[in-house]
Amino acid sequence: MRAGSPRENYLGVRGWVWAGRYDLERYLYTLHRITGLGLVLYLFMHLTVMAIVRGILGEGAYEDVIDFFEHSVFKVGEYVVFAAFIYHGLNGLRLIFQELGFLLGKPKPPIYPFRDSLRRRRPLALGMMGFVVVMAAFVLTDFAKGGP
Amino acid sequence: MRDTYLWLLQLVTGSLIIVFLAVHMVMMHLDNIVGFFGGHIDEPSFWSSMIDRATKGWWLTFYISFLALVLYHALYGLRGIVLEVTPSGRTERVVTGMIWAVGLGAFALGVYAPVHLFTR
Amino acid sequence: MDTVMQIRFKVQRYNPENGAAPRMDEFVVPAPRGMTVLDGLFYIRDNLDSTLAVRSSCRMAICGSCAMLINNFPHLACHTQIAELKAGTIEVRPLPNFPIIKDLVVDLTPLFEKHKAVKPYLIRSDVEEMEDPTAEFLQTPEELDAYLQFSYCIKCGLCLAACPTVATDTPFLGPQALAQCYRYCGDSRDDGAKERFPTVDREHGLWGCHFAGACSEACPKGLDPALAIQLLKRLRVSRALGLGRKRRPTPVASPPTTRQPKLPVPEFTVEVGANPPEK
Repeated sequence: MRAGSPRENYLGVRGWVWAGRYDLERYLYTLHRITGLGLVLYLFMHLTVMAIVRGILGEGAYEDVIDFFEHSVFKVGEYVVFAAFIYHGLNGLRLIFQELGFLLGKPKPPIYPFRDSLRRRRPLALGMMGFVVVMAAFVLTDFAKGGP
Repeated sequence: MRDTYLWLLQLVTGSLIIVFLAVHMVMMHLDNIVGFFGGHIDEPSFWSSMIDRATKGWWLTFYISFLALVLYHALYGLRGIVLEVTPSGRTERVVTGMIWAVGLGAFALGVYAPVHLFTR
Repeated sequence: MDTVMQIRFKVQRYNPENGAAPRMDEFVVPAPRGMTVLDGLFYIRDNLDSTLAVRSSCRMAICGSCAMLINNFPHLACHTQIAELKAGTIEVRPLPNFPIIKDLVVDLTPLFEKHKAVKPYLIRSDVEEMEDPTAEFLQTPEELDAYLQFSYCIKCGLCLAACPTVATDTPFLGPQALAQCYRYCGDSRDDGAKERFPTVDREHGLWGCHFAGACSEACPKGLDPALAIQLLKRLRVSRALGLGRKRRPTPVASPPTTRQPKLPVPEFTVEVGANPPEK
C-alpha cells in the first residue's frame, strides 16, 4: 500500500505565464490576459476619478485633476493603455473568429510531422501582430507630438 | 445554456467596444483624425467641452451604452479569471454575486455624473 | 562507428514514504545514436539506481504511459530521441498538473474521470440496435473526415499538462475531454450532443478554454484538440441559437435488396474413396 499520499503538482498561476518552451500562440493568450487585466484596472481608476471629480466635486477640482494628469509620466501611462487596447482589441477580433470555428481550417488526418490548425494559421496571427505594431506606432506619433 | 449566452455576449460586447472605444480614443487623443473628418472640438478634456457633450442627448446615450458594454465585458472576463483560481462549488455563486454587485455599483457611479450634469 | 555521447540526466525524485521535498538526481548515461529518453531511464534503472519509478508500456508512442516533462516541454519519453533534444543535459520531470505518486509516475485519475464525464461513446435513440447490433451504420468518407483526426487520442495526458487553464482550474474538463466530446458530437452516427452539453457547457467546461493552443502543440499524435474544442464551441453556439441544419444521425445499413447469383460449385475432380490411404 502507498504510505504517502500523491503530491499536488499543479503549475498554478505561473502556468499562465510560462510552463515550458511553447510557441507564439500561447503567449498571445498570456498577453491578452495581461492587457485585459491592465485595462480593467485602468477602467476602475478612470471611472472612479471621473465620477467623483466630475459628478461630486465639480469644475474646480476637475480642472486641477486634469492638470495633474498632464505630467509626462501619466502621458506615457495613457499611451500604454492605448497600446494595450489596440492589442487586446485586434487579438480579440482574431479570437472571435477562431473561437467560433472560422478561419481555422478543416480537420485533417494527422500525417507526421504534424502541423496543427494554430500553426497553419500562423500567418494570420503574425498579420494581426503586424497591424498592432503599425497602429501602435501611428498612435505613438500622435502622442509624441504632444497630444492633448 | 446560460453560460453559452453569457459567452456570446462577451463576443458581441467585445466587437462593439472596438468601435465605441476607438471613437472615444480618437476624440480624446487624436485630433488630427477628427480634423480629417471636418469636425473640430476644443480641447476635449476641458470642462466646457465635457459639459457640452453631457448635455447633448446623443453623447449621453453613447456614454451610457458604452459604460454598460465595457462593464459587462470587463467583469465577465474578470469573473472567468477569478473562477479559474477559486475552488469550485459554492464559491462560484459568491464570486458571481460579487461581480454583479461591483458591476451595478460601477454603473450607477458612472451614470450619476453625466445624468446629474444633463439634468442640471 | 557511431560516437556514444555521454548525456547528463537530471531526474526529479520524490518518495512519498519519506516525506521529503522533490529533489533532482544526476546520472550520466552513454547514449548511442537513436537512443530515446525512455531507453536512458531504463539504463539508469538497470545500472545506476534501481529505485527509479517510471511508467511505460509499449515504447512505441501508442499507449501513452510514458508522458513526462523533458527539457521543459511535455513529451512521450519513448517517442523522444536524445539527439533530437540537442542538449548535453536532459531534465526529466513528472508530468505537471497531475498529482505525483512517486518519481516520474503521476496519478492520471483526473484525466480518466474527466474523460468519462463527457460520455465518450456513441449515443443513439435506437437503444435495441446499440445493445444488439444487426448491421453497420452508414457513413460517407466526408462525414468520417469531420472527426477522424480527433479519434486518434491515446489518452496520454500531455495536453492537460500543457493547458494554462488546467494549471490553476482543478474542475476544468481539460482539452482531452473536450476534444473527445467533439469527436462524438461531430460523428454523424451519434445523436447524443444534447446529453453531453450540460457537462461541457459551463465555465469549467467549454468556456474555460481561451485558445492558447498549447494542447495542440504538445499532442504527440497530431490530434489538434484546440481545433476540436473551437468546433465544439461552434456546434454549441449554433444549437443554442437555433442556426444551422440539424442533421439526423445516420441510419443502420439496410440489408441488400439484390442477391448475388449463387456461384456454381465446381464438380469434384477426385472421387471420394478412390485412393484409400495405405495401411
